[in-house]
Amino acid sequence: MSSALVARAAFNRNVAAAIARRSLRPLALQARSAADTAYVPGGPIYRGTVNDPTPFPPPSKTHGSYHWAFERILSAGLVPLTVASFVTSGTNYPILDGLLGVSLVMHSHIGFDAILVDYLHPRKFPVLGRALTWVLRATTVGVLVGVYQFNTNDVGLTELIAKAWHA
Amino acid sequence: MQSLVATRSSALKHTVRGFASSAARGQATPLQKPVLNKEFKIYRWNPDEPSKKPTLQSYTIDLNQCGPMILDALIKIKNEIDPTLTFRRSCREGICGSCAMNINGQNTLACLCRIDRNASKDTKIYPLPHMYIVKDLVPDLTQFYKQYKSIEPYLQNDNPPADREFLQSQEDRKKLDGMYECILCACCSTSCPSYWWNQDEYLGPATLMAAYRWMADSRDTYKTHRMEKMQNELSLYRCHTIFNCARTCPKGLNPAAAIAKMKLELASE
Amino acid sequence: MLAYRALGLGPALRQAALNPRNVARNPALRNLVARRFVQTESLPPSAAQAILNKQRLLRPSSPHFTIYQPQLTWLGSIANRVTGAGFSVLLYGYALAYLVAPETFSSANVVELIASLPEAVKYAGKVILAAPFAFHSLNGLRHLGWDMGRFLTLKGAYSSGYAVLGATAVSTIALVLL
Repeated sequence: MSSALVARAAFNRNVAAAIARRSLRPLALQARSAADTAYVPGGPIYRGTVNDPTPFPPPSKTHGSYHWAFERILSAGLVPLTVASFVTSGTNYPILDGLLGVSLVMHSHIGFDAILVDYLHPRKFPVLGRALTWVLRATTVGVLVGVYQFNTNDVGLTELIAKAWHA
Repeated sequence: MQSLVATRSSALKHTVRGFASSAARGQATPLQKPVLNKEFKIYRWNPDEPSKKPTLQSYTIDLNQCGPMILDALIKIKNEIDPTLTFRRSCREGICGSCAMNINGQNTLACLCRIDRNASKDTKIYPLPHMYIVKDLVPDLTQFYKQYKSIEPYLQNDNPPADREFLQSQEDRKKLDGMYECILCACCSTSCPSYWWNQDEYLGPATLMAAYRWMADSRDTYKTHRMEKMQNELSLYRCHTIFNCARTCPKGLNPAAAIAKMKLELASE
Repeated sequence: MLAYRALGLGPALRQAALNPRNVARNPALRNLVARRFVQTESLPPSAAQAILNKQRLLRPSSPHFTIYQPQLTWLGSIANRVTGAGFSVLLYGYALAYLVAPETFSSANVVELIASLPEAVKYAGKVILAAPFAFHSLNGLRHLGWDMGRFLTLKGAYSSGYAVLGATAVSTIALVLL
């Protein structure tokens, strides 16, 4: 009985030493175990053992709180713009159209992007997700140009909506 | 005083007489309750026959021979009809969080959920939604616990008071009310559509409320470290304030509010 | 059997029965022991993960939105996304169309096309556009309220949700009659 205990203690020491050695190595150099290679995001196999905490992505305020705050400020800005476009319909208002043209397109872009991140994130859909993210970016640029053309060469967004509504 | 003693002794006499007379008449027959059969449809999947698709299995029990809660019905079915039915349960009083499951479309604890006594309608019982199933009503909560561990759910303070306990004002202590009571049953996280789609990276309401519980603790000095971890597009910001978490919490807690406060603090940091 | 177990004699008896010397002497017991043998395989502790992962790959994912009770909370949220995405598709589609063919999609042509539609179609179109616009705008205000820390209780979420639905109905009528 006692010899078994001693053996187990020695085994534990060896394991602890091995873990300590491995934790000293930088993460990138650590040999990925068989479980890690089988890991698919969202799949039934998890990274590491049951006792390892899930890792966090590298912190970036651009993708975190700045993105969130920008989104809210933009949405809040749309409130007076929407009210203004109702009140001032009938005449040509280039400033309002310019602001709406940019802020509505950005609001839409963030909305589409949130949909892609929620349902088609590149970590799960490496080809489709990444492709759609770039398609969205390109489309948004095209839309910005289109809206600019419409606002400068045609009647502008507010006037179009007003006229179409009463057509 | 005298009269009180008098009434009590007369009551005692009554009881004694009551006992004596019933013993003389033989044992009273217990009240026969009418049979009230109700159908339960329960999600079944057996890992020993993995190729068989999960199915709903129907069980009918007499509610008048069963306790009032869904957990009572499950235990009755397991005891009397089908011993292979598998589910987690422990405390039977809503404090361990083991028996979390989806009952009639809502995540809750089976031990806190009353059986609907309307026998014409069946009760459907599924495991917690969008989880990998170990067997029947038992989901694999490994990822949920790993995520909970990742937010370092313990007090961290590099300069603890040398000779006494941590002191906290009553207002500071109040900030933890409504958060520390969480029993980690995973009802809220598995009710959250964002958690359904992105649970490999998004932490989910239960873990996020636990994270905020430690951010809000006046005794913890690692707030900036804790907040920095949330600064990415997935861990926290997949929350779209849907409120399914607060709606379903069997303990009446409000993870949605905690997460909203966390977002506000991160933005005004 | 029950009595043996109660007295804690079970293991002792089993040991006596399975004692190699007894087994060798009794052919009937030898058979019994042979049948009790289970094929075992010695595995290192590290193999546990592989076995677990093999099991995990067989596990089904439990049903989710198909069985979850329809509630104002998540139906309102998905409606907010669908209405927003709908208008964004409209904006993106028109802007791109104008970019490609400014003559065909000029405002004059669009207004002319709409004017040529029968009255019933125009009214139906107005309702189809006004209702989602009103809902998305008003629910957006609700979201901004939440983000500023307002009505974050469950009760607040529900009363504001019903308020948005009511206000959507009123503003839809107002917009159609505009």
